[in-house]
Amino acid sequence: MIEFQNVSVQVAIPQAGGKNSSKTLLEGINLTLEEHRVAVIGANGSGKSTLLRTINGLVAPSSGQVSVNGLDTVKDGKKVRSQVGFIFTDPLSQLLLSTAVNDIELSLRAKIKNRGERRERALALLAERGLANTAEQSIYDLSGGERQLVALTSILALEPDVIVADEPTTLLDLKNKFLVGRALASLEQQLVIATHDLDLAAKADRVLVVHEGRIVASGVPQNCIDYYWELMSK
Amino acid sequence: MKTRNHPAVDLALVAVFAALIAVCTVVGGVELPFGVALTLQTLGVVLTGLVLGPWRGFLAVLLYLVVGFAGLPIFSEGSGGLGVLASPSMGYLLAFPFGALAAGALAALSVRRGLKGRYIWITLSGLVASLIVIGIPGIVGMSVIAQVDLVTAFIWNLAFVPGDAIKCVIAGIIAAAVNKAFPALLAAPQPAAISA
Amino acid sequence: MNKVFCLYVPGDSLLHRLGVGWKYAVMAAMVISGVIVSAWWFTLSLLAISVILVLLTAVPPRFGLQMSWALILVAVLLVAYQSFTGKPLTGVVIAGNLIMAVYASRMLTISTPESVLIDALISAASFLRVFRVKPEKVGLAISIMIKSIPMLLDLFTGIQQAAMARGRGRNLAAIVTPFVVRTVAYAQETGAALAARGLGE
Repeated sequence: MIEFQNVSVQVAIPQAGGKNSSKTLLEGINLTLEEHRVAVIGANGSGKSTLLRTINGLVAPSSGQVSVNGLDTVKDGKKVRSQVGFIFTDPLSQLLLSTAVNDIELSLRAKIKNRGERRERALALLAERGLANTAEQSIYDLSGGERQLVALTSILALEPDVIVADEPTTLLDLKNKFLVGRALASLEQQLVIATHDLDLAAKADRVLVVHEGRIVASGVPQNCIDYYWELMSK
Repeated sequence: MKTRNHPAVDLALVAVFAALIAVCTVVGGVELPFGVALTLQTLGVVLTGLVLGPWRGFLAVLLYLVVGFAGLPIFSEGSGGLGVLASPSMGYLLAFPFGALAAGALAALSVRRGLKGRYIWITLSGLVASLIVIGIPGIVGMSVIAQVDLVTAFIWNLAFVPGDAIKCVIAGIIAAAVNKAFPALLAAPQPAAISA
Repeated sequence: MNKVFCLYVPGDSLLHRLGVGWKYAVMAAMVISGVIVSAWWFTLSLLAISVILVLLTAVPPRFGLQMSWALILVAVLLVAYQSFTGKPLTGVVIAGNLIMAVYASRMLTISTPESVLIDALISAASFLRVFRVKPEKVGLAISIMIKSIPMLLDLFTGIQQAAMARGRGRNLAAIVTPFVVRTVAYAQETGAALAARGLGE
């Protein structure tokens, strides 16, 4: 369960002459997320990304509190990050090592100390997702969809309880969008996904609409999506 | 976004800027006499200090050197390994991390003091780093390897001064622009978020 | 995607099969002793050995022994200068060491895959424990650096082409500024990805 209690995020913008002004990215967020799949929609710069990043403590609230399964995302940051897997928009930033198998081995490092065992497990995880052929390839030689699936496999190797995905299909073509969308839909873990893909959002159990740093609608997908359409076409 | 000084972000900045210096060295360069290449290598080194600040800058350049010395072909002309140690330019190379350290320290100082004309100060920081902190060990290295006296080495070094100075001016322009985009990198660690 | 490390030549020569540690030791010993001993007969012997080593990697000699014109120019100038001051043998030592060192290094790089060099470097980093530096962190930094090189090279090429399209292909600041800005953003994203996976803390 993910809980937001009166969360606001402001950032300082240093100005010439040493004075700082501040910009509000999120304001007065109160949420309890218990649904299996939650979609977050909103325009670019609306605060979607910031909202997602507060869930694993990558961004700390300026006021208020975010907790995951009762753990504070700031005070217990390390523990929270071990429970929350985060998928980034660009898998090339997310994948840290040059080949798929090496990247997954990196995720397994904390759990499996034996090198040979670790490699075996990494190869097995890739094979489970039908990615066995990508194992030894350079991540730069994979297709966008394959890269995102490798990134997902790498995150799942950490065995998180919650998956947070920040526009994971934005850079993909339609075919890969479906491929990655299906992989995300089949996850057992709770999923919080920010997306511009309204078809993907429609399949969620709950949709949040973020606008100028606030949650302006929350609930059944179709109602929220209709509201978002209206809001954006004004 | 809150740019908290997370140790993982520091590690990534160091690693990625070490890669940036390698890329600056590999992409097109002009060769000058005396074995010193007019690549973007020096530009990359000075920029790394000016952008990342002293310590991250120092570590990034050190990482670049260590990986190059290990044998990966990321030094000028696609060479790698210890071969560069027999080149007259070895002194410059070994002084690079300290050059980045000096450039970063001076630039951070001027930014933190809120001095006017940021671009001028950043450029001056780069010039001091390049011409003195890198230049002097460079002259000594040239004198040792080419077996000439220091005066001769100093005169040979003058051939690189105009090129290096131009590169520092360019590095200053670039670093000032980057500093505007990411002010928290050079400025003193400050509370990134202001409470409401 | 650009190939950066194009020096390694796959093969099955004696040197390809020799352990990376031995090859490294040979290279280091040749370069350092050449500079320290600084005698014409010693340097010329080392030069001969380095040529033989490059040839032993079984790459085409024209590829293995090629030298850039800049390197040749430097060697010639050094010999000319030292001859002019009446020390032609010193010139031979300096120029000979310069070329020998290039060949000795090339022997290592031609016959050793990048991944082996990187693994060797990472395991060598374990001595850093003495200085309370975590070797895993250093290893991670090395791996991320290597991973980032092709990415940044592509970024640079893309920005250069965009600048050329606007007729600003010769303006260094116009190319390098967006390159560095994007590099910082990419590094911060990488840092977030590291932190999100509980690494590098």
